[in-house]
Amino acid sequence: MNALIGWIAELGAQTLAQVEGLGRVARFGGHLVAAIPRRPTRFGFFVRALFDAGVLSVALICLSGFTVGMVLGLQLYTTLTRFGAEEGLGAVVGLSLVRELGPVLTGLLVTGRAGSAITAEIGAMKSTEQLDGLRMMAIDPVHFVALPRALALSIAMPLLNGLFIVFAIAGAYGVGVWRQGLDGGVYLSGLEDAVLFGDDVGQSLLKSLIFGLLLGLISTYKGHSCDPDAAGVARATTSTVVTASVCILLADYVITALWGV
Amino acid sequence: MQKGEIHLLLGGSGTGKSTLLRMIGGLQRPDSGEVRVAGNLLSEKSERELGEIRKQIGMLFQNGALLDSMTVLENVGLPLREHLRKPWSEIATQVARVLKSVGLDGVEGLLPRELSGGMLRRVAFARAIVMEPEILLCDEPFSGLDPVNVSRIEDLLVELNRSLGLTIVVTSHHMASSLRMAHQMILLRRGTCIAGSPETLASSDDPEVTDFLGEDGRSYLARLHELRAGGGA
Repeated sequence: MNALIGWIAELGAQTLAQVEGLGRVARFGGHLVAAIPRRPTRFGFFVRALFDAGVLSVALICLSGFTVGMVLGLQLYTTLTRFGAEEGLGAVVGLSLVRELGPVLTGLLVTGRAGSAITAEIGAMKSTEQLDGLRMMAIDPVHFVALPRALALSIAMPLLNGLFIVFAIAGAYGVGVWRQGLDGGVYLSGLEDAVLFGDDVGQSLLKSLIFGLLLGLISTYKGHSCDPDAAGVARATTSTVVTASVCILLADYVITALWGV
Repeated sequence: MQKGEIHLLLGGSGTGKSTLLRMIGGLQRPDSGEVRVAGNLLSEKSERELGEIRKQIGMLFQNGALLDSMTVLENVGLPLREHLRKPWSEIATQVARVLKSVGLDGVEGLLPRELSGGMLRRVAFARAIVMEPEILLCDEPFSGLDPVNVSRIEDLLVELNRSLGLTIVVTSHHMASSLRMAHQMILLRRGTCIAGSPETLASSDDPEVTDFLGEDGRSYLARLHELRAGGGA
């Protein structure tokens, strides 16, 4: 009986801790939003953060996009051939990339490359008392350090998503047309007919914007709240990758279910 | 702690010297009791209100806490830029003057990782005093410095205290320098403290005080007391 009560108490304590954690994330998010209109606007820091999160991810995104496109082209061509529908390759590749694979895979790749780097950087700043140094100079670390990075991730994500989709479509074109012998015009016209700019491309960019906002919040929060030592920074970095990846996948389902995007 | 005095916080490792400094700076809240700075009860203040109080406080952190992505000029000039909105040309002049006062010249364009430990600490010191605060908190200001720079920082602290009436709180294990400039000493023990002037503590029979000061410290204080009594330095 005592063991059961202990188990229930432990479960309750863990639930409370999780709720408390969510509250802290929400408060941090509120702090971030409240910091947006505050002056001075640190445009230079934002550009530097955008370069780190966006430009430095370009090679990874292009290479990954092209590879995913090649695999997709190969798999779908083989499958569609069974039904005599290989002319539909461009349409299927385009829709699956624009509506689903592009935003989700870009989100996961940017999480691993830029999100983890932001957490590690802010965590290292915390462990070397740089954030406390800012507070002692009456400078808000959330405004000075977190906000430019969170905004940069939110802006970079849709742009990288677009780049990923373009390279993936090119990869699928390469495999479908040059390797499997599908007519290039058929591939491109199928793609053009199937993918609608407003419904598909616009909503794909909206989806990746939401993923960028989520990753910006999670990566900066984890850096700010980590234990100020090497092990704490390592834990926070891992936690960012895991939490943001799960949140992106969950958000993807919620957005798809609610809006049909 | 009285305004305009130099206070020396002493105590073994883990007795809470740095924690006490952080509480005075409002970076940490006490589990019990209260901290008042210039009449302000810090535990009642929001982070924004604490920011206003911190504009009167400079703090030198143990490892410098310089922003590693910014140059020395940007680090030292940051509070001037943020709060006084001065142009960089004016900031550069003021930063060069403050850097010179801590014995540094021509390092404005360097990043913190390009500085030696002693230089880094002096840059951090320059950043702590550039806004001419009323209170200066120094966490181990002499550690990692050579004797010339220990003497330079010590002279600078004394000069700031005398000329501007700056209230200074120092934690240090560098007994000679600390004792030479301190008006008040506070020896932290587990949960309690012993406070008094250097002369008072030197004449204390408390075994913990005598152990901590050591033979050198006590004889130094005795000599200092004699000099002061005789109207010397």
